[in-house]
Amino acid sequence: MDEVEKKVVDLIAEVLVDVNKENIEPGSKIVEDLGAESLDIYDMIALLEDEFGLEIKDEDVEKIQTVRDVANFIKAARAAS
Amino acid sequence: MPTRVVVTGMGLVTCLGSGVASNWEALEAGRSGIGPITLFDTTRFATRIAGEVRGNFDPQGFIPEKELRRLDRFQQFALVAGAEAMKDSGLECPPANPFRYGIVIGSGMGGLGTIESGLEVFRIKGPKGSHPLMIPKVVANLAPGLLSIKYGFKGPNFALVNACTSGASAIGEAYLMIQSGRVDAIITGGTEAVVTEFSVSCFNALRALSTRNGDPERASRPFDKDRDGFVIAEGAGIMLLESLPHATNRGARIYGEVIGYGATGDAYHVVMPDPEGEGAYQAMKLALEDANLDPGKIDYINAHGTGTELNDIMETRAIKRLFGKAAYSVSLSGTKSMTGHMIGAAGSVEAIYCLLTMAKSVIPPTINLDNPDPECDLNYTPLQAAPRKVEYALTNSFAFGGQNASLVFRGLG
Repeated sequence: MDEVEKKVVDLIAEVLVDVNKENIEPGSKIVEDLGAESLDIYDMIALLEDEFGLEIKDEDVEKIQTVRDVANFIKAARAAS
Repeated sequence: MPTRVVVTGMGLVTCLGSGVASNWEALEAGRSGIGPITLFDTTRFATRIAGEVRGNFDPQGFIPEKELRRLDRFQQFALVAGAEAMKDSGLECPPANPFRYGIVIGSGMGGLGTIESGLEVFRIKGPKGSHPLMIPKVVANLAPGLLSIKYGFKGPNFALVNACTSGASAIGEAYLMIQSGRVDAIITGGTEAVVTEFSVSCFNALRALSTRNGDPERASRPFDKDRDGFVIAEGAGIMLLESLPHATNRGARIYGEVIGYGATGDAYHVVMPDPEGEGAYQAMKLALEDANLDPGKIDYINAHGTGTELNDIMETRAIKRLFGKAAYSVSLSGTKSMTGHMIGAAGSVEAIYCLLTMAKSVIPPTINLDNPDPECDLNYTPLQAAPRKVEYALTNSFAFGGQNASLVFRGLG
């Protein structure tokens, strides 16, 4: 995992009460594998936006499935800014 | 005959400690829990002291660490005190017929601290800065909501907002619901976490709080002529009430029985009590009538006793009017002298203190009562705890807004 992926894993682990950090992998699907529900997703978005200083729109969220997707979105947003 | 209602589980989080045992130890020793405020910077504040819940108030780890950030402090207190009460009760959860099990929790101001910190971010970042967890952390009814999720109680579930009477009102209304046969058991009590900068500044604006900052342990002085206002505090007191048949059928340990509840409104003023104590008098009178008890049978009164001139004199007058000569033989105490004033949790914490007083046959003291106000001439158990067998106890709660509630308990005898 690169630095962005590691940070994303940290934040997701912070949000998901029942999930241990060790069980989160870049390929983990956030809803299907990790059991996130809508409030968890909104919580993650708020934390990610704070941490990385970017905006994640609801339509962006629809394209994101895995931990790696989140990290890639962040890298792309950084590269574009 | 209406169903009898008994107390089978109790839990406490206060500035005296986490847990019923540590609270009783402090009460019996006459130890104050008041100290300098550490939850925020008090530099510019008139009041810099409070009854803060300090350190790790969840030593048994009832709340998983990761859940803490999702919960306002008032919810954390409710969950920890609730967990102690439920563990204490031994009730199997979730219950088989969950719709017969309810939850009523009082809170004066809910997640005020969350509103304060959230609004700060909102002012800087605008609407996009608001966090999705704000609403569930702010609303008072998430205290009963969270408890229902944890214990699987699916019956009536609501928060009761009644300022300083919230906790006592919750217990009273829960008692009526069991008595009427509508439910078999209820988790009830109160929770409050308003030692926050905005809250303290607002109570200071009302000139309601003690400013004895240099001597925090001596700041809360109910019935003493040198009092200078109440000391704000935080915490929770949660109990499990059951119908007597429900408790005996499962072989539960019974701490005592709720036998009377009286509730009134002063119809007088937004923050001052009726100086003649008419509403307080009627609340106590109704509670005793409900209990079918002569005032002379009461051994102990846990007074509202805030340490404000308006309350202490009014409450003393109301007790003297109702009890007549018997007012001088009943033992009183103002335990807020040790705990400070937990607002919406006060009434339920003090109800639990009544049950402990009956169980231990010891009256907790009113500490700091060095120079009694001449208008307050009853036996408030000054300075030191006193042994006394207590069969019947009454507790008072009075609120800004004129809400009054009195509860009467019978011990196991």
